[in-house]
Amino acid sequence: MTHQPQEAVVEPDAVGLGPSGTDPTPPVRVRGRGRLTGYWLMLPGALWLGLFFLVPFYSLIAMSLYDPEGSSLTGYDMTWHVANYVDVIQAYWRPLLRSFWYAALATVACLVLGYVLAYAIVFKAGRWKNLMLILVIAPFFTSFLVRTLSWKLILADDGWIVNSLQFVGILGEEGRLLATPFAVVAGLTYNFLPFMVLPLFASLDKIDYRLIEAAGDLYASPRRAFLRVTLPLSMPGVVAGTLLTFIPAAGDYINSELLGSPNQRMIGNVIQNLFTNQGDYAAAGALSMTLMIVITIGVVLYIRRAGTEDLV
Amino acid sequence: MSLVADDHETAQGRSGSGRDLRLTAVTKSYGTFTAVKSLDLVVPEGSFFALLGPSGCGKTTTLRMVAGLDVPTSGTIALGDREITYDKPYKRPVNTVFQNYALFPHLSIAENVAFGLKRRGVKDTKAKVAEMLELVELGEQGAKKPFQLSGGQQQRVALARALINNPEVLLLDEPLGALDLKLRRGMQIELKRIQTEVGLTFVHVTHDQEEAMTMADTVAVMNAGVIEQMGAPEALYDNPESTFVANFLGQSNLLAGDILGPDGDVVKVSIQGTTVSIPSDRSHADGTRGWVGIRPEKVMIAEVGGEIDAPGNRFEGGVVSDVSFVGVSTQYLVRMPWGQELMVFEQNTGRRPIFAVGTPVDLSWRPEYAFLLDASQDASAGVEDGDD
Amino acid sequence: MAGSAAVLPFFGTPDRRQDPADCAATDRSNDGRLIVSNWPEYIDQPDDGYVTTIDQFQKEYGISVSYTADVNDNNEFFAKVVNQLGACEPVNRDMFMLTDWAAARMIQMGWIQPMDPAKVPNLHNNLISSLRDLAWDPDRGYSAPWQAGLTGIAYNKSKVGEVRSYAELLTRADLKGRVTMLTEMRDTMGFMLLKNGADPADFTSEQWGVALEDLRRAANDGQIRAFTGNEYVQDLAAGNIVACEAWSGDVLAAGDPNIEFVVPEEGLMIWADNMLIPNQAAHVANAEKWVDYYYRPDVAAKLAAYVNYICPVVGAQAEMEKIDPELAADPLIFPDDETLAKTHSFMALEEFQMREYEGDFADVTGG
Repeated sequence: MTHQPQEAVVEPDAVGLGPSGTDPTPPVRVRGRGRLTGYWLMLPGALWLGLFFLVPFYSLIAMSLYDPEGSSLTGYDMTWHVANYVDVIQAYWRPLLRSFWYAALATVACLVLGYVLAYAIVFKAGRWKNLMLILVIAPFFTSFLVRTLSWKLILADDGWIVNSLQFVGILGEEGRLLATPFAVVAGLTYNFLPFMVLPLFASLDKIDYRLIEAAGDLYASPRRAFLRVTLPLSMPGVVAGTLLTFIPAAGDYINSELLGSPNQRMIGNVIQNLFTNQGDYAAAGALSMTLMIVITIGVVLYIRRAGTEDLV
Repeated sequence: MSLVADDHETAQGRSGSGRDLRLTAVTKSYGTFTAVKSLDLVVPEGSFFALLGPSGCGKTTTLRMVAGLDVPTSGTIALGDREITYDKPYKRPVNTVFQNYALFPHLSIAENVAFGLKRRGVKDTKAKVAEMLELVELGEQGAKKPFQLSGGQQQRVALARALINNPEVLLLDEPLGALDLKLRRGMQIELKRIQTEVGLTFVHVTHDQEEAMTMADTVAVMNAGVIEQMGAPEALYDNPESTFVANFLGQSNLLAGDILGPDGDVVKVSIQGTTVSIPSDRSHADGTRGWVGIRPEKVMIAEVGGEIDAPGNRFEGGVVSDVSFVGVSTQYLVRMPWGQELMVFEQNTGRRPIFAVGTPVDLSWRPEYAFLLDASQDASAGVEDGDD
Repeated sequence: MAGSAAVLPFFGTPDRRQDPADCAATDRSNDGRLIVSNWPEYIDQPDDGYVTTIDQFQKEYGISVSYTADVNDNNEFFAKVVNQLGACEPVNRDMFMLTDWAAARMIQMGWIQPMDPAKVPNLHNNLISSLRDLAWDPDRGYSAPWQAGLTGIAYNKSKVGEVRSYAELLTRADLKGRVTMLTEMRDTMGFMLLKNGADPADFTSEQWGVALEDLRRAANDGQIRAFTGNEYVQDLAAGNIVACEAWSGDVLAAGDPNIEFVVPEEGLMIWADNMLIPNQAAHVANAEKWVDYYYRPDVAAKLAAYVNYICPVVGAQAEMEKIDPELAADPLIFPDDETLAKTHSFMALEEFQMREYEGDFADVTGG
């Protein structure tokens, strides 16, 4: 069966030839009713996005510019009070930095633990692969709050972990784990570990095992093969996982509230308090927007740096 | 081509130390399934060796064991006097060209090719990489990524990547499987040329018997984990020792016959009343029954009573039941009085018009072309459907 | 519905003050219904052979009560109803119970209907004296305490010696890092003010500053482990903490013989959850009957026997003798006059004060 270059126009609508002059793929016909179908199909998604994202977002921006003297009872006046941002950063820069710091620590811990776990599941688990995946996801069947509360029990002053550490001498007699930065970061790590493991798993699983065999064939020891082949090919998963972990961890407040002391206050706690207890919507809005902007800038820079290599 | 000259010299230098690849009683079992059964094999240094067989015969498993990617259940593999049975792949002076090329997608072509050298600590690889890319005619493509190249180009990169390390044995796992016909033919010639120039030992695994016969110095036919027969392609084709080899390499007519006994340096066999002679060295059967094999192109066809060039064993009473014109030749199916259809390939020399279906014909062949196979073997072993 | 529709934020939100006189609905109490929202576990539950107070009420008055325990937090409930009440719209409830300061806030905003004193004689006759004459509702014209509570100190006597005052709680070395305080600003700061010689019912912002510094010091030093809601009870039992600021009802309900409730030397904070009738309630008359009913000593005793908080009704203690003499003698349900004399309540705050003080407090407690 031979291929022959087709004549330029077969139907009145067909436009252009394929790349090598053989068997062109017919382009999408754009005329009449067809043109709008795409937009109609997008409509439900666009509505949802508009209603549940754009409107609240607009509301948040507006709120951040309220007159700070307002309250929920006397009402809020919209006075384009940009100084809210300055005030809020001056007052709360410590919890803000602390949040990023804790989130970074938790992300690194998740990365180390998660990579080892994902690697084991993909390459070492054999027929236990699916079971292990289920075990990683299983904690999600309970609520976030319940999981974090259970850590209160695990790290309790009379619990076996604290007792063991005291016995071994790592913790002093009066030492404790709860109400310390350690507990908060541990809680964050635990709660966000699946967000790191699953993208890493997907990325590692996609790696053709024959590539690793080829590396071994080409004189790479297992360590070298990992560093030169497996690790670079899993980078998309690393980028995705770190983003999925860092961003929510930075805004988290439950871990700090349940496992930490007032000295471990994170920005989420501050915002929550400003909204509910103090009714200071202006400061709360400004702080939320600040958090969002800082994270967005960070993420953009990070993605630029890490690259979004599309590996076939 | 300084690279080639160097290698040729070293290859010559090496041949003195006898670095043959030797597999002894190598077995690989997976639970109850045995993929490779006590394989014995010697691949002489510097030869182009083909391991030929259908899917699932164990040839790829054998290759992987030589490469170090699988470990034999028992048996030894040695390179010269060095036993490498349990050595890790990165410790063996053996490189593989994989079926799917296994090019590293995140590295450029040049980096891919340099990979092996870098891992062995060679510092300046640029010159060697450039030479190797020239050898496979991809000199300009060094900076591209694998996905930007065509299948044929990727295959050549895989070859360059393996060759640059100057291994003692180069293993090729059906490397031409994914290429289209024309490209495949071109690459077969290329590979043979490179092997001759560079002088390395090539072990080529394939299921394509034409490929094996074209390229290899020695062919081993594998079936269900064992090597059925090994030798030069001509020898295998001319004098197969089992029905599998007879059917897998080319095509054969197998006629059931009663063995009457040796007579001097031939063996007499009776087929449907007609006695035929088969040279003793082409007789591989014991007992009272056997298969007499004859290649279709060795069978002469003529109309009834007509003169047959080079007469031998003559069989009468055949009727042409199918005619296929293939351009170069005509393929006949002739139904014999006992019901069997024999294949006859006749070159279209133009001397005689092509027989029509239904024509009664006589068949004949020279006894020195027939071979005798054991009756206990399956006459349909090795027959491939849809042979092209 | 115009008021509660989403107002475009760029135009700010309106002032939500109302006038109860302008915002009353026509009374439809004839239809024999009443809708009540309360805190969870704040009313007696049915049991084998036991007739609950609510069943009794329904039978006696022929009113069918729709009772929901959907008040979990003062702020949360506030947020739930603020839009409707702020726009003079009905909240589909005839009564809900809120703690003093939240009740005070709503009364200040004019969202609560007055109760006709003639319709609730039991309230005015039987209310215990320490809950009378409050700054934010001096005549109890708008609110009626449902149950009251004391905030004091609780400690685990199997783990530590008696803790008698906040001075001890916040300075004793053997308690360091094993003490919690409450996130309820008015309780915690009430004690800090008392500890520093001020009166929580009437203090200046200088006194506030001093008290807050004291608290900040204790928190930064690590004396205070955390500021909690009512999860301190589990922590106390588990041994994570050994002493804390505690609510009387929680201690009683825990029933742990090791956990003791102590009247601090500085004094106690007393508070109540108050019954309130919102604007636009449709069954004001029925609600008033409810209030009057629950101020009958026999009913109050039945309720107190179940709920374990302080009974605000005089005469209920005598009734309790008939039901459960042990409970009748329990000082956490019927505190004696000596204890009641030591109680204090917190000043009603203006809106701007509330913002400022809650903010200061949040800075120290960590939100």
